Amino acid sequence: MIAETERGRIAISPDAITQIVGSAAAESYGVVALAGRGRLSRLLPWGIKKGVDVDLRADGLAIELRVVVEHGLKLAEVAETVGSRVRYELERMVGLPIASLEVHIERVRSH
Amino acid sequence: MELELVRHLARSASQNLEAHRRRIDDLNVYPVPDGDTGTNLVLTLRSIVEALDASTATDSEAVAKDVTRAALMGARGNSGVIFSQIVRGFVEVLGEHEGISSALLSRAFRGASDTAYRAVKRPVEGTMLTVIREMAEESEKKVHRRVAPDDLLRAVLAAGEDAVARTPELLDVLRNAGVVDAGGAGLVEIARGMVHGATGEELPEAPVEAEALGFDAIHQELSEYRYCTVFVIEGESLDKDELEAELEKIGDSLLVVGDATALKVHVHTDDPGHALMLGTAVGVVEGVEIANMHHQTAQREERLLEGGTPSALSTLETGLVAVCPGRGNRRLFESLGATRVIEGGQSMNPSAKDIVDAVEAVPTDDVLVLPNNSNVILTAEQAASMSGKKVRVIPSKSVQAGFAAMGRFVPTESVDENERAMLEELEAAATGEITVASRDASLDGVDIREGAYLGLVDDVAVVSGSDLEVVLDEVVDRVLAGGQGFLTILTGEDAPPLDGLVASLEERHPDLEVEIHEGGQPHYPLLLVAQ
Repeated sequence: MIAETERGRIAISPDAITQIVGSAAAESYGVVALAGRGRLSRLLPWGIKKGVDVDLRADGLAIELRVVVEHGLKLAEVAETVGSRVRYELERMVGLPIASLEVHIERVRSH
Repeated sequence: MELELVRHLARSASQNLEAHRRRIDDLNVYPVPDGDTGTNLVLTLRSIVEALDASTATDSEAVAKDVTRAALMGARGNSGVIFSQIVRGFVEVLGEHEGISSALLSRAFRGASDTAYRAVKRPVEGTMLTVIREMAEESEKKVHRRVAPDDLLRAVLAAGEDAVARTPELLDVLRNAGVVDAGGAGLVEIARGMVHGATGEELPEAPVEAEALGFDAIHQELSEYRYCTVFVIEGESLDKDELEAELEKIGDSLLVVGDATALKVHVHTDDPGHALMLGTAVGVVEGVEIANMHHQTAQREERLLEGGTPSALSTLETGLVAVCPGRGNRRLFESLGATRVIEGGQSMNPSAKDIVDAVEAVPTDDVLVLPNNSNVILTAEQAASMSGKKVRVIPSKSVQAGFAAMGRFVPTESVDENERAMLEELEAAATGEITVASRDASLDGVDIREGAYLGLVDDVAVVSGSDLEVVLDEVVDRVLAGGQGFLTILTGEDAPPLDGLVASLEERHPDLEVEIHEGGQPHYPLLLVAQ
């Protein structure tokens, strides 16, 4: 992905963006895991990438996040926090416009 | 755990938190600096208070359930969600028994911490989480094992305060912004409210929330009184309201901030002795500063009235009037040949008439004016058109820019020649300034926290932070970008000591020549110009 900035063109790999998004999501309060997306990936060990899907469109980054949230939390607030935190970190570190950002709560973890 | 007691504790916590809401909002830089942590916590706590008011629970377990549910439903924002988990873990343990003991409280703190940590994949230290964990660890210490619940709570509260103070050591964003964690600070205020509710002690008076009106702003107010008086009172149970009422009788521009143990007082009065006496009557007075506000104005008038002595100055072609703030700057401009200096600048713009009067008092027919502030340039131009003399305005936007231009001023040369040389110098000079932010803001893409140093280069914010050296280095690097070899620093009236900073500057720029003068200007600890 090529970002046009005041200081010139900067190439940012999709992996790097995925990692930033995954990291920001994993540090968001309420998120106990990032979800796997398919049956196959569920068999793989947990990793940061799996709950994150990043796509660069003409109007900016399109991001889909799938997270597992702790039981007994207000889901709307958790989703809001994840969203604003990811947005903030991306804007701070990458500076690319965000076309869309979806936070899916895949599961609620209970004990 | 009785409903009545829990109601009382929740109200006490809520009351104390509300008193600190704005301060906590202002601290908020993590996870997203949107300044709502205090507000979110207040709203979360309020919903708990309301749910308890409506509750009809008759046993401990039912009370716990109601509180947990209210915290969950009412949770607002990130800090509210974390707090709801802390509450849940805490009351789940307390709900097991009807009574409350130190051992049970300790287990409750542990439950609060564990529950809070369980709900995040990668806990970030230096946040509310760290604070509740350290409070739990304190409660488990052997020394507290046989103490009364009240004493345990006090010890836990102290540990929480300590943990909050250390949050910047754990989280870089906090250290960079020069703040402690907002959520952690909120948690401690909630705990303080509860502890004081439980022990029946009165809450310490909350520090006055920083209003838009700071000391800097109030300095700019005009006053009919003569002395600007500032001092700090240290004591034990200082009564802010009472002191304010007394001071109000003797002056204006009054500002009293602080808490029961320390108050900072600012007042304009004709009787500073009386103001100090009010201070010494209730505590120990320190850091006294008394400035005669009429002195500088009077000095200026004297100079203007004196007029010139034309015979001694007959060889002079060109006179020069400069506007600048600070005694040191006045001396600098005078020593560089300014014929008249008008006190003024950012906080005190002179009128066109002030400038015309000064121009008329200069013993030459041709006069240059250095406005030294972007807000004064227009006034100076207006004055130029009002005066009968040939007046040229050298549009210096800052004191340091004017200072650079001043280096080329030769009174025995023609006004045209001087104007040309000074404009050339102005063009080539790069200016910077370092001030202290009076409130949180975002300027030119720089996030600024109240009280942090803010560095500007050619009027554009470029860097902000709590570390002066970092800010200074960045500003110096930028003003030297054009390869200039000479740097002048004008120190303000509240400039910090520079010894180490200048040494490291010279180390970083071995070919640079640095000159430092005491400018004495207000509001700007450092003004810089590179030539």
